[in-house]
Amino acid sequence: MPNSDENTGQHPIPNGLAERLPPWMTGFSLGSWVIFIIGAVSALILFIPRDHIDADMSFWIFSREHEPMYAPIVEDWNATHDTTIKMSMLGMAGLEQRMFNGFRGGLPTADIIEAEYRHAGRAFAGPIDAIGFLDLTDRIKAEGLDESIISTSFTPWTTRGHIFGLPHDVHPVLLAYRADIIEQYGIDVSTIETWDDFAEVFRPIMADNNGDGKPDHYPLAFWPWQDDKVELLLYQGGTGLFDANGQPNINTPENARVLATMVSWCVGPDRIAYDVRDFEDNGNKLKREGLTAAYFTPDWMCGVWKNQFPDMAGKLQIIPLPAFEPGGRRASVWGGTMTGIPKTCENPDEAWEFVKHIYLSPDLAEQLWHAGDIVSPVKAMWDNPMYDEPDEYFRGQRKGRLYIDHIPQVPPRYPSPYNLAARRSVRDAALKLLEYAQDNDVFDKESLIPRAEKVLDEAQRHIKRLVDRNVFLKEEN
Amino acid sequence: MARASVAEQRAAWILLSPFVLAAVVFFLYPLVESARLAMTQSFGANATRPVGMSNFSSVLTDPIFWIATQNTVILTAASLLVVLPMSLGLALLLNRPNLKCRALYRLVIFMPQMVGLVFAGFIATVFFAKDTGFVNQLLTQIPGVNTLLHNLFGFDVQFPWLDRHVLLTVFIINLWLWVGFNMVYFLAALQSVDKSLVEAATIDGAGPFQRFKNVTLPAIKSVTAFVFLLAFIGSMQLFELPYIMLNGDPPQNRGVTIVWYLYQQGFEIDDLGMASAVGWILGIVLIGAAFVQFASARHESREARL
Repeated sequence: MPNSDENTGQHPIPNGLAERLPPWMTGFSLGSWVIFIIGAVSALILFIPRDHIDADMSFWIFSREHEPMYAPIVEDWNATHDTTIKMSMLGMAGLEQRMFNGFRGGLPTADIIEAEYRHAGRAFAGPIDAIGFLDLTDRIKAEGLDESIISTSFTPWTTRGHIFGLPHDVHPVLLAYRADIIEQYGIDVSTIETWDDFAEVFRPIMADNNGDGKPDHYPLAFWPWQDDKVELLLYQGGTGLFDANGQPNINTPENARVLATMVSWCVGPDRIAYDVRDFEDNGNKLKREGLTAAYFTPDWMCGVWKNQFPDMAGKLQIIPLPAFEPGGRRASVWGGTMTGIPKTCENPDEAWEFVKHIYLSPDLAEQLWHAGDIVSPVKAMWDNPMYDEPDEYFRGQRKGRLYIDHIPQVPPRYPSPYNLAARRSVRDAALKLLEYAQDNDVFDKESLIPRAEKVLDEAQRHIKRLVDRNVFLKEEN
Repeated sequence: MARASVAEQRAAWILLSPFVLAAVVFFLYPLVESARLAMTQSFGANATRPVGMSNFSSVLTDPIFWIATQNTVILTAASLLVVLPMSLGLALLLNRPNLKCRALYRLVIFMPQMVGLVFAGFIATVFFAKDTGFVNQLLTQIPGVNTLLHNLFGFDVQFPWLDRHVLLTVFIINLWLWVGFNMVYFLAALQSVDKSLVEAATIDGAGPFQRFKNVTLPAIKSVTAFVFLLAFIGSMQLFELPYIMLNGDPPQNRGVTIVWYLYQQGFEIDDLGMASAVGWILGIVLIGAAFVQFASARHESREARL
């Protein structure tokens, strides 16, 4: 090993090597040359083209689950059409970032993009003519797709009367429950119509049979922390977050009652809920242990149950959501996907043909159902006998028909650029109400309603401020 | 002094030009552009409307901005009033003569810095999780604590670190991360204090506190001021740690800092004008603080010369 230079502390080039090099090369230390070579090689690597677009059009998706469903359909398209498609799975964050960067900077993105409900609204914040997606309203109406697809599936992608995406799904939410646990208590779930019925019928499972001083089970997996659940409950029993004009619709008496009811599930002697979260290790552990017995379950969640909990096959069954009032809505909605065509697409007609090919194809409807338990939004598909097949995971239940029967009760959701902010605001309102209930020992829903109105007023003011600040929305209203 | 020749002046400009160019491209242009953005509302590159100073008034009248400011001030105060004194205390302990394993202690206390901010945030989410977190598991193992928690928070409710006590949790992680970092600065400063001054004070009968107050502290004053300013700016710019600890979603805006608020405006609500206005407000506060520190240092050095 060469000795360090006494003055500089640098390692000179070894003598044997230095003699064979030209004098100008020996003027620098070995370390300097290593750094220089690494820099030069890195710079060269930058120029190597990595992402070959070997197709005529690109198609970005965000869901790993969708990729295998779409692959054969894309393959079929490429085999039968002159214009070929390359599908890329970017993940949720990657797609969101690249899509919005493209839209903001006026730069090319993909020719076709699949977007998720939580993020699509952000694309609609500006003037209609500056929205990054192509307006599909005329195409959809001309081809009668607004009639053949359930209307509630269009609302999240519609702003100021213009439709910017073709819907992928409906995502009705029902309730999955641990039939194995319920049976042990001899409970009959068929009598449940309202959430009050649900609490009464399921309460026996809260008995402390193992003697640890705590209930053995809780009827419902819910906590106001979970903004997606708060949102779906507000859509089920209240007025949701925004009206059809994009104005916040948060501080309504219906929403206050729903908020008070959901908080009453979490506190006091009549508590029925426990904080078991989806997609978290801790939540998955508690689900397996059966700490909670019932779960909000959109159609896609059935697929998640099967993938994440194969060991729980035969333990679950599905029932409609209990209503907030007798005769009330027995379903809600959670999640949603559309496909749109960015304005930078050079061949929008061909892209539109592809979007229809993939979303309206009976093959996809079957793929969606068999691989992901997702019901197609195309009404004509609902007669497909596959939806009547018994599902062994859910104890042989014909759950497809149950979901389809409840599609008419799925509430419409209207998009807003401030959807994420509104979700968080109502979630925070629910948390404030929960803390108020805990700190003041106020437990019944009637007593919580005045406070619920107050916290929802604050949420409404916050979102209204955001909406009113938007000069573009103001110009077009 | 002789004037530089034309050739010398030209050479100076040529040599300076890369740095001037870099400053214009990476500093001056973004500064001017952010000032322009702060007075507009935009929707990408396709639509922009001038809105005057309304972004600034919207920021200053937004209750969430004031929650973020309050959180930032609390965390900054905690950093300056707790973390820095603890760092100095640890440095004093490690600076004791004849201390064995000094390097090992220094390494152990400094080690959290090697973990990095992002990883520390992830560790915190695991440590402070409500039901299965290490801290709550440990607390409930201690006899009596479980009953106390039950009595205070109701049955089966675990201590909600990341739900209700966010600032406390962020502070604990901040303390763990930065106390060692600041300690290293203080230790280096303490080791450069002239020992003969300390010995003279000891011979004159000064006790440990008097020696610290009248000899050590004045000797490390410039380093203390530097660490103080560094901690102040770092705390005012705090973002990544609470963002990761709360998974980007703060319950009731607990744990939101000013920079996080800026991020929310710019990248969640897509209002780059508001985000730029927040940036300017924060920038002005930080420049003001640096100016005050600089002015007081100059005043003190002038007094010392007199």
